[in-house]
Amino acid sequence: MQFAPTVLSPAEEALRAEVRAFLATELPPDHRPALGFAGRHDPEFSRTLAKRGWVGMAIPPEYGGHGRSAVDRFVVAEELLAAGAPIGAHFVADRQTAPALLHFGTEEQRRRFLPGIAAGEVYFSLGMSEPDSGSDLASVRTRATRVEGGWTVTGTKVWTSEAHNNHYFAVLCRTSPMEEGNKHAGLSQLIVDLHADGVRISPIPYLDGSHHFNEVALEDVFVPDHMVLGELGSGWKQVTSELAYERSGPDRWLSTFPVLRAWLRERGPAVSGEEAAVLGRLAARARAIRHLSLSVARALDAGEAPAVEAALVKEVGTRFEQDLVEALREAAESEPDQGSDSLFQALLAEAVLTSPSYTLRGGTTEILRSVAAKGLAA
Amino acid sequence: MSDDRRMLTEVATGLFRDLCTPEDVVAAEATGWSGRLWDALTEAGFPLVSVPEAAGGSGGDVADACALLTVAGRFAAPVPLAETGLLAGWALAAAGLELPGGPLSVAVGRPDDVAELTGRRFSARLSRVPWGGRSTRVVALAESGGQRFVVAAPIDAATVTPGRNLAAEPRDTLVWDDVELADADIAPAPDGVDTAALRLRGALARTAQIAGALARVTELTVRYTGERQQFGRPVARFQAVQAHLVTIAEEAQLAGLAAQVAALNARPDPAFDDVAAAKAAAGEAATVAARAAHQAHGAIGMTKEYELGQLTRRLWSWRDEFGGERYWSRELGRRLAAEGADALWPHISRGLVA
Repeated sequence: MQFAPTVLSPAEEALRAEVRAFLATELPPDHRPALGFAGRHDPEFSRTLAKRGWVGMAIPPEYGGHGRSAVDRFVVAEELLAAGAPIGAHFVADRQTAPALLHFGTEEQRRRFLPGIAAGEVYFSLGMSEPDSGSDLASVRTRATRVEGGWTVTGTKVWTSEAHNNHYFAVLCRTSPMEEGNKHAGLSQLIVDLHADGVRISPIPYLDGSHHFNEVALEDVFVPDHMVLGELGSGWKQVTSELAYERSGPDRWLSTFPVLRAWLRERGPAVSGEEAAVLGRLAARARAIRHLSLSVARALDAGEAPAVEAALVKEVGTRFEQDLVEALREAAESEPDQGSDSLFQALLAEAVLTSPSYTLRGGTTEILRSVAAKGLAA
Repeated sequence: MSDDRRMLTEVATGLFRDLCTPEDVVAAEATGWSGRLWDALTEAGFPLVSVPEAAGGSGGDVADACALLTVAGRFAAPVPLAETGLLAGWALAAAGLELPGGPLSVAVGRPDDVAELTGRRFSARLSRVPWGGRSTRVVALAESGGQRFVVAAPIDAATVTPGRNLAAEPRDTLVWDDVELADADIAPAPDGVDTAALRLRGALARTAQIAGALARVTELTVRYTGERQQFGRPVARFQAVQAHLVTIAEEAQLAGLAAQVAALNARPDPAFDDVAAAKAAAGEAATVAARAAHQAHGAIGMTKEYELGQLTRRLWSWRDEFGGERYWSRELGRRLAAEGADALWPHISRGLVA
């Protein structure tokens, strides 16, 4: 395992400056920053961003995208997240679904979905978790049954973020019964239209009171053959590889950065020694984690497959996102209040309530440790 | 890493592997020093890497010196490699003073240190000077008539009270009582040669050493937990132990990359932002990884002969030397607060500079 230091090229720095200038004009000075990639669903912002070429950056031009490098995407993502830009509408489709379509999708699927994703207009949710299936994905019970021209899908997905706002989700389900001794076989990914007949979406109130999670019940939902993503029976391999490389981006360590900036803005320059130590420690740690995360992006561009490194970055990065919240709560010595007039206090309250999700989503810390430990021993 | 630096690292690794085994490190504790290793390093020109050739050094830059220090940290090398070149050698060369032979050390101006110069008469009390008693000269900054001077004070004129850090590396108290120095031992300190700059170099050096030690701690712990069997299987199969392994690897990589970026950005001198952040992060990494490594090793890690302890005792010392996590976090935080909220993200996102 080796994280190499990497320098941003003049073109990459120019891209950063461009995004920074865009955000300075696009986001009003008093805007309420979103915390992380799931912080705010704003289709208009997603479309505006797409017009600048900053959605679908990994998608090749022939599918409406921009064929940019992982480092270019890294630079754009970190600027957006640091500013607390509302990227929730397009982010999952862009980060996760588009690469899956590129790797595993048919030509028809790519032509159908990728241009819309790149335009910031087509949004995807993830369809993995179920009431009895969390980290153990192979235990999913949602079943697809063969019918003329396709499949009918029945089952229940939960914790489906933004299903009520999005267009599709890629459902992990059984297309053949579980085999003794090979529980990973027989799983497939089907692209399901969230507006199709038989799809019932109901809110599961989120810890902070917002509507973020949903239960998505599927009852004999017809999915045509051409909506099977990748090969039948390869679903497990697809979702795990999908997780691997999309793990270590700036969305895994910057979710709570806007809280820190809001604190400093309200606190002003005359900080105590104790407060300075908290600020300095968090900044030092953020810098160090950023070096690691950027290093993985560079390795991806070099054609490497840094799965262990990515797992390490996600594990350490998401814990940092949480540490930041607790360190500021202690430094501020206050009682967090979602309704506070202070932006810092309101953001702190939001962060306290939502930060437990950071070490769960996209692979729990415990699962990541297993992945990483196996890689270390190898 | 540049090809030259990679070659330097490879050659140094070979040298330390031969002359700085865990047994050698244990043996050196009696005297706090390995003369055999020092002679070989001197032969190779390593102690004076980053000191210009024109000034009698070995050439190369700060990043080269830090690459060597990372290797030295990995092998727990009981010699003043950082102090001789990156600190003392740099200050002497900058002040136009001749480089004396042999190991050198440096006083960075601890709060309780005193150093005064009256004409050529030197009085000082300098505490916790690394390998002070083993050095030929100690470089200190002294005030005289409102001016700052670089002084290369000879050890044979000093009273030495031995002290040591947690790893039994010498950290001596030196006293010069109205000693007459030669002209060639004193020069006005040029701009930029001050206690802040020395402390920054010291902190960068310890960061590089911590990075090396942490890399080795990772290897040792992965190996040990893969071999050690309990309940009929290697302990590395247990999730609780895996969590320790991952913590150690993360902290080691995090400190290693921060150290490398700080060293590479030192062109020609280390920058405050880089070093403060790297030393604060490396200090925390040392703390967290050492705890996890001992937990994963169990009782064997508590024995003096086993290699882990040679490394963790250094980590526990180096994290505090030239400023601990709290010190550097506070200094960095003060600067960031003064620069304001809008400068915070540009600071964090400034990585390796082209």
